[in-house]
Amino acid sequence: MINYLIVLFAITLIYFAAAERLIIYSRLIGMQGVLLCGIAVFELREVNTANLIFIVAESLLFKAILIPYLLGRIIKKSGVTKVHSLAMPGFYLLILSIFALLSSVILANALINPFINTIYMVIALFTLFTGLLLIVTHRLIISHLIGFLIIENAVFIFSLAIGNEMPMLINIGILLDLFVGVLILGFFGMRLKAHTNELTMLKD
Amino acid sequence: MSIMIVLLRNKTVTKAITAGFALLHIWFTVYCWMNLNKTELTYFTYSSVGVLLLSALSVLTIPTVLHGFIYASKDDTKKYNIYHSALIALMMFMTGAYLANGMTVLWIFVEATTLAVAALIYHDRTEIALEATWKYVFICSTGIALAYLGVLFLGFIYGREDASNLSFASLSGIINQANPMYLKIAFVFVLIGFSTKMGLFPMHTVTIDAHSVAPPPISALISTTLMNVGFLAIFRVYSLFSSSSVLPFMNNVLIISGMLSLLIAAGYMLKAKHLKRMLAYSSLENMGLVAIAIGVGGVGYYAALFLVVLHTFTKSSLFYQMGQLSRILHTFRLDDCGRYMKLYPAGSLVLLLGMVCILAIPPSGLFIPEFMILKGLVANGQWFVLVASVILLCFVIYAMSTRIMHIIFSDPRGENATLPPDKVNQAETITQFVLLGLVVAMCFYQPSFLVDLINQSIEILPR
Repeated sequence: MINYLIVLFAITLIYFAAAERLIIYSRLIGMQGVLLCGIAVFELREVNTANLIFIVAESLLFKAILIPYLLGRIIKKSGVTKVHSLAMPGFYLLILSIFALLSSVILANALINPFINTIYMVIALFTLFTGLLLIVTHRLIISHLIGFLIIENAVFIFSLAIGNEMPMLINIGILLDLFVGVLILGFFGMRLKAHTNELTMLKD
Repeated sequence: MSIMIVLLRNKTVTKAITAGFALLHIWFTVYCWMNLNKTELTYFTYSSVGVLLLSALSVLTIPTVLHGFIYASKDDTKKYNIYHSALIALMMFMTGAYLANGMTVLWIFVEATTLAVAALIYHDRTEIALEATWKYVFICSTGIALAYLGVLFLGFIYGREDASNLSFASLSGIINQANPMYLKIAFVFVLIGFSTKMGLFPMHTVTIDAHSVAPPPISALISTTLMNVGFLAIFRVYSLFSSSSVLPFMNNVLIISGMLSLLIAAGYMLKAKHLKRMLAYSSLENMGLVAIAIGVGGVGYYAALFLVVLHTFTKSSLFYQMGQLSRILHTFRLDDCGRYMKLYPAGSLVLLLGMVCILAIPPSGLFIPEFMILKGLVANGQWFVLVASVILLCFVIYAMSTRIMHIIFSDPRGENATLPPDKVNQAETITQFVLLGLVVAMCFYQPSFLVDLINQSIEILPR
C-alpha cells in the first residue's frame, strides 16, 4: 500500500512541473498532504499511539487542509491566477523534472543504508529537487512559496523514513510546518499585495 | 519577561524589565564561566565555544538595550513593547543555540531566532521593511529546511532510538563508522542551511537585505551575534566530522565558500550606494575569512574564533553608530551623506576608528587573526587562495575607506541632503568607543582567560 501512495506522490510532483495555474498548485499541495497522511499511517507502526495520532492529525489538518486553504486565499487576494509569463515553460520543466527523478534514483542507490528504505530516499530526493526547480525557474513569490512547501514535504518524507526509530525528528519536522504555516502563509502571505509579486525594492 | 512586556503595556515597566534582562544575562554568562563543561537541563552544556560566543553576546546586551531605548523612544507603546519583547526573545534564543548540546535542540533555537528577527525587521512597518522581512523569513525557512535535511542525514547514520536526541557527545562516538558519503551530504546541507544565519555564500543575500533595513541596534545584533549562531552550528558539525575521512572535503568546501563570499563582498562593496548595505557586505567578507580560516586548519582554527569575537565588537559598534548617523543625516544613501565630522565629531571618530578596526589595519585587533590566516595559507602552500584573498581584501579596503572618508570629510553629492540634523548627544558614542577600545587593546594584549577558552574550543580539532 505504501508503495502505491508513494507512486501517487511522485505523479503529483510531475504534475507540478507541467501545471501553470496557481490554483492547481494549491490543490496538488493539498493532495500531497493527504498522501503523506496515508504514508504516515502505514509506515509508523512502531510509534506509540498518541504520537501517531498527533502526526496524522498534523499532516491532515495542516498539510491537507489549512495550507491549501491559505494558499487559495493568497491567490484570490493577489488576483494572479497563472505563473509569470517569463517563467520556464512547462515542457522544459517537465524534462528537467524527469532528469531530477533519474538523478534521485542514482543518488539513492549510491546511498543504500540498512536503516532506511531506498524508495523513501528516491522520493524524498525527487521532492527536494522539484521544490528547488520550482523556486529557481519561476518568478512569482507565490511560486517560490509553493516550491518551499514542496521542500517541506521532502523533509517530512525523509523524517518518516526513520520515524519508527527517531519519532522526535518527525515532531521537529512538524514544528517547521507550524512555523511556516502560521508565519509565512498566515501573516506575511496575506500582507503581500499583487504589485509586490516581484520583490525588487531592495537591491544594489 | 518577553511575554510580560507584551501583557503589561507600559513603557517604563518595559524599560525596567529589559534592563533587568540585560543584567541577568551578564550574571548568567558569569555563571557559565564558573561552570564550564557542566550539563544542565539535559539539553544544555556550557561548552567552551558556546560560552565564548555567549560572552560576546553578553558584552553587547547593555549597548543594544541602551541604543534600543533611544531608537524606539518615539514609538507608540505597542510598537515599543513589541520591539523589546522580540529583542529579549532573540537574545534568549541565541543563548539557547550557543549552549545546545545536540543538533536537534540547536536547530530548534536557530529556527526560533527567525521568528524574533522577523518581528524586529518589520518594526518600522514600511513596504521596504515588509519586503526585507518576507525575504528574510522565506530564505531562512528554506535554509532551515535544508539544514534539517542535514540533521536527518545525521539521523540516517544512527538509525537507533538510543541516539534520538543527536547529541554531539553521542554522535562523536560513531562518526568513524559512518558512510563518508552521508557525512559529506550532511555537511553540505548543514553548511547551506545555516549559512542563511552566518551570512555566508550561497545564502548571503538574506542577511544583506535584513541588515540594511532592520533598526540599527538590531542590525548590530543580527550581523554579529546571530551570524555567530550560524557559525557555531557549522563549526559544531565540522568539529564532529573532523576525525573522519571527510576532513579534506570539508576544508575544500569551506575555502570555496569563503572565497566566493569574499569575491561577492568585494564586488558589491565597490559599487555600494547604501551605507548599511556596505557594512552588511563587510560582514559577508569577514564571515568569508572565517570560513577560509577553518578550511586552512592549524592556526586557522584559533584565528577563526578570535576573528569572530573581534568582528562582533567592531561591527556592532559601527551599526550602533548608524542609529546616530541616521538622525544627523536622515539617510543611508552614500551620495547624500557628507560633512559628518562637522555635524557630529564624536560619531565621525567612531566611524574612523571603526573603519580602521574592521579593515584589520594595525592597531586593530583583527589584524592578528587575519595575519594568522595568511600565515596558515603560506604554511599550507595554498598560494592561489592567498593571492586571491589579498587582492580581494585590497578591493574591500579601497571601497570602504573611500566611502567612509567621503561621509566624514566631503560635501554630499546628492541634492536631497537638505534636512536639518537632529540633536544627538555626544555621550551616545561612549559604548561604541568602549567596544572599539577593546578591539584595539586586543592587538597588544590578549587576556589568558580568552586565549585559554579559544584553545579549549579547538582542542578536539586535528592539528
